[in-house]
Amino acid sequence: MSDKPGNDAILEHDKPGSDKQEPIKEGRAGFLARLNALETVVLAGILLIALAGVMLVGKGFYMKAKAEFSQVLLKRSFEAQLQGETNAKPWPWADFSTEAEITALRIGKTAVVLAGASGEALAFGPARLSNTPVPGELGTSVIAAHRDTHFRWLKDVKQGDLLVITRKDGTNLTFRAGTSRIARWDESGINANAPGRNLVLATCWPFDAIEQGPLRYIVNAELVEDAGPSTLAAQGEPGKLPVKSF
Amino acid sequence: MLLNTENTAKPPRRITGRQIEYLILTALVALTLSLLFVMGFFSHAMAETNDSKPQRFAGYVRPNDMGAGALLFPSKEPGSFVEAPRLATDVVIDVNGPIIRTRVTQRFQNPSKGWVEGTYVFPLPENSAVDTLKMQIGDRFIEGEIKAREEARRVYEEAKAEGKKTALLEQQRPNIFTNQVANIGPGETIVVQIEYQSSVHQSGGEFSLRFPMVVAPRYNPDPIVQTVDLDVKTGYAVNDPVPDRDKIAAPVLDPTENAKINPVTLTVNLNAGFPLGTVTAPFHQTDMQTVDDMARRISLKGGSVPADKDFELSWNAIAGKTPNAGLFRETQNGKTYLLGFVTPPAASAATETPAKREVVFVIDNSGSMAGPSIEQARDSLALAISKLKAEDKFNVVRFDDTMDVHFPSLVPATPDNRENAIAFVRGLTADGGTEMLPALEAALRTQGPVEPGALRQVVFLTDGAIGNEAQLFEEISKNRGEARVFTIGIGSAPNTHFMTKAAEIGRGTFTLIGSEDQVAARMGELFTKLENPVMTDIAVSFDGANAQDITPNPMPDLYRGEPVVLTAALDGASAAGKLQIIGKTGNQPWRIEMDVAKASEGKGIAKLWARRKIDDLEANAYAVNDAAALDKQIETVALANHLVSRVTSLVAVDVTPSRPAGEPVVSTDMPLNLPEGWDFEKMFGENPQQAIPEGQRKASLERSEQQASLIADRMAAAPTARAASVIADAGKQVDLPQTATLADRNILIGLLLLAFALMAATTFSLWRWQLRGLVLEARDRVR
Repeated sequence: MSDKPGNDAILEHDKPGSDKQEPIKEGRAGFLARLNALETVVLAGILLIALAGVMLVGKGFYMKAKAEFSQVLLKRSFEAQLQGETNAKPWPWADFSTEAEITALRIGKTAVVLAGASGEALAFGPARLSNTPVPGELGTSVIAAHRDTHFRWLKDVKQGDLLVITRKDGTNLTFRAGTSRIARWDESGINANAPGRNLVLATCWPFDAIEQGPLRYIVNAELVEDAGPSTLAAQGEPGKLPVKSF
Repeated sequence: MLLNTENTAKPPRRITGRQIEYLILTALVALTLSLLFVMGFFSHAMAETNDSKPQRFAGYVRPNDMGAGALLFPSKEPGSFVEAPRLATDVVIDVNGPIIRTRVTQRFQNPSKGWVEGTYVFPLPENSAVDTLKMQIGDRFIEGEIKAREEARRVYEEAKAEGKKTALLEQQRPNIFTNQVANIGPGETIVVQIEYQSSVHQSGGEFSLRFPMVVAPRYNPDPIVQTVDLDVKTGYAVNDPVPDRDKIAAPVLDPTENAKINPVTLTVNLNAGFPLGTVTAPFHQTDMQTVDDMARRISLKGGSVPADKDFELSWNAIAGKTPNAGLFRETQNGKTYLLGFVTPPAASAATETPAKREVVFVIDNSGSMAGPSIEQARDSLALAISKLKAEDKFNVVRFDDTMDVHFPSLVPATPDNRENAIAFVRGLTADGGTEMLPALEAALRTQGPVEPGALRQVVFLTDGAIGNEAQLFEEISKNRGEARVFTIGIGSAPNTHFMTKAAEIGRGTFTLIGSEDQVAARMGELFTKLENPVMTDIAVSFDGANAQDITPNPMPDLYRGEPVVLTAALDGASAAGKLQIIGKTGNQPWRIEMDVAKASEGKGIAKLWARRKIDDLEANAYAVNDAAALDKQIETVALANHLVSRVTSLVAVDVTPSRPAGEPVVSTDMPLNLPEGWDFEKMFGENPQQAIPEGQRKASLERSEQQASLIADRMAAAPTARAASVIADAGKQVDLPQTATLADRNILIGLLLLAFALMAATTFSLWRWQLRGLVLEARDRVR
């Protein structure tokens, strides 16, 4: 440090003229250099903390942006799949496949559902747990998604709401939401082989918590066997369906 | 400006300035420390909540762990089960020519004082067909009836709701089924009897059978994992609901003890249909009786300790009498079912020089192969390349969502080329998506025509994590040409359905490599096959008989020592005509004819045929657009032959003989009379006595009681039958994944950090300027 001209100028005042710079300019030009060891450490610490903060905020927003943007791509590939393209991939290096689209009619939200709820898939969209049947098949199908992105709207689903699932084979299925409850993730009480054709939507609870916790919010739904106007509407007038992805 | 004010500070304030300086510094350090602490605390709490699933407590099992038949009760740990005490197991295996019929009878007990709903699991050998289920629960008898899956489930649920004894046997995946048993009362004994059919395995003149007997790792004391759940609002953790969990000490049952408590009797009635040479059971001690030159009766030696190995029995014919062909038939419902096998002549093939080979290796390096899978794939492939002979030709294709063909065309397997390819393979890393089709196309279509006399082989290494199976099957069946497609499944859970079927369509074989240490052995087996095809282009036809459904279709190539095994259904109860099998050994045509009318009678052939037919239907699902029609077809075949399949289940119906009204109710331990055709006597006698001295016997009884009470402690039994079913349902629950991202938390912590940094920076600058002021002041004073 002592070899830095600015430092010398201050600490060794018997050689004030050794520096070419004017004393008034010193405050600006040699700011860093004029700090002693302790001060440098403190400043570096502050900078590090600030950097960590920026990174964390950036990472958080990146996760959210990824979730939003991927849904657009997923939607595109899912539509291609509906057109009969079997090998549609949302992006070339994606290692999972789209399976269905879920629409909450009253709330006006829709999202593309992936197959297999690995942590990776969940970052991009809601996913059906691979150990449960496909929606509309016998048993209870479970679709899970993040509470802070794709299933942010799940708390607004009320008893009696209609949920439309468009499967990749083009089938439209209407489910009616029933009761909702809160359970631990490993005590969900969901039986994949339960009688009937059921759908369960699950996300984390409490909704506004900032930590990951063991509790899950579970909405039960049952297939409306005699798919009436809602399904027809969904089939006939796609324009009426909400376009926004979340 | 600040500077100016500081400049005007008076000397006495200098000391206070120093103090402020230290104060601020201390505050900074303290703040940073507390922030770090809070962050660490957060992540710590998270780690604990994520991990809160009990890590396989001692004595608790899961259905997939079971290596032998067992009855599982729901336990107090959600999602885990405890094994019901197995009082006795009796196995009778009848071998008649090529057909094995196995009857397993097991006796269990509900040691608790409450009601339970249990799950019976039994690992089946490959390609076996379950057709019979009989049970006794307490004093009631129930017998399985085959029904469409949905209907069976309805019947079961209804019976359960009415509090009746009932059982449901469903197929989960081929060779994995579950049997739910409802309404088991306190202290009741359960006897389960299942029967299944399979065929004798033949290879290289050796005939063999296998019976699953591996005892799952039980009662191994595992570390207790204490879980802490922090309340989101208060931040406090509530105590573990089972405070003395570590006092439920896990007893270490060594297998010898276990065998004394749970005796197993096993009898094989072997009727080979040809003069027997040697008969051996490699892993167990047996008693063998000679019935005649073609038949043996083998039983497990009394008191022998079941090794931690499946029971295997292998036999062969006396020298020179090894059958090279056989034809069996069964007439059922106006149809004749045939089972034929032919072992082609091997001697001539051995003297021939092995054919030149043209091998195209295809390796999957997509993201799903990451970790041990890609290592195994690399090792396997490098080994395969190094084993090529100089006159062979080869190429390597790798794919993820992109693909590379390593050499522009097939190249001779010179040492240089092999080195080059191995280096390429060693350098592969797993990343990206799985686009299998282009790679397959490249391997099948763009490698040029097959040289006359050469064998084109495509060896495919993948975990099969793909979604477009149908397209791939189509590609293989359309463009395979002369090529044979061999699939190698990599990793712990490869898509075996896809790979088995792909190999079948490609007329090759499927090899499964589950772990690193299997690479050498399994690949070795595959190389022997690849190098020694005995017969190719096999076709089967019937002359003078209307044959339908010859399976397998197409016929695979034969490798040394393997027989052609086929089943077929013929019209008419008294079918006549000739069965013709043609093929090619090297370049030499081969042909055999068998007279259908001369086939000997065999039992259970119709069931074997049905099982293979269902397999074929399932496997061809990719070609059928109408899934419902396919299900219907499978259902028809399965119902006609009383088989459990994906769409049919066995549901048990109460068939207990009703007790005359005046008769007194006798002890429930012993049933009054067995329904006709039931054969449980082994199960009702006392446990087979092996002349154990009184003292030992007492000790073993005590031990078994101890074991029972221990299991009862862990069971989640219910006071009523209905409550038991609720508990059982909860035990089968689906675990939900973590569905909260850390995004919000990250943003929040990030913002906090930024705010803190801002604050610290302000403080620092204040402090800094003040310091500067002090320094300037000091300079002034020196002047």
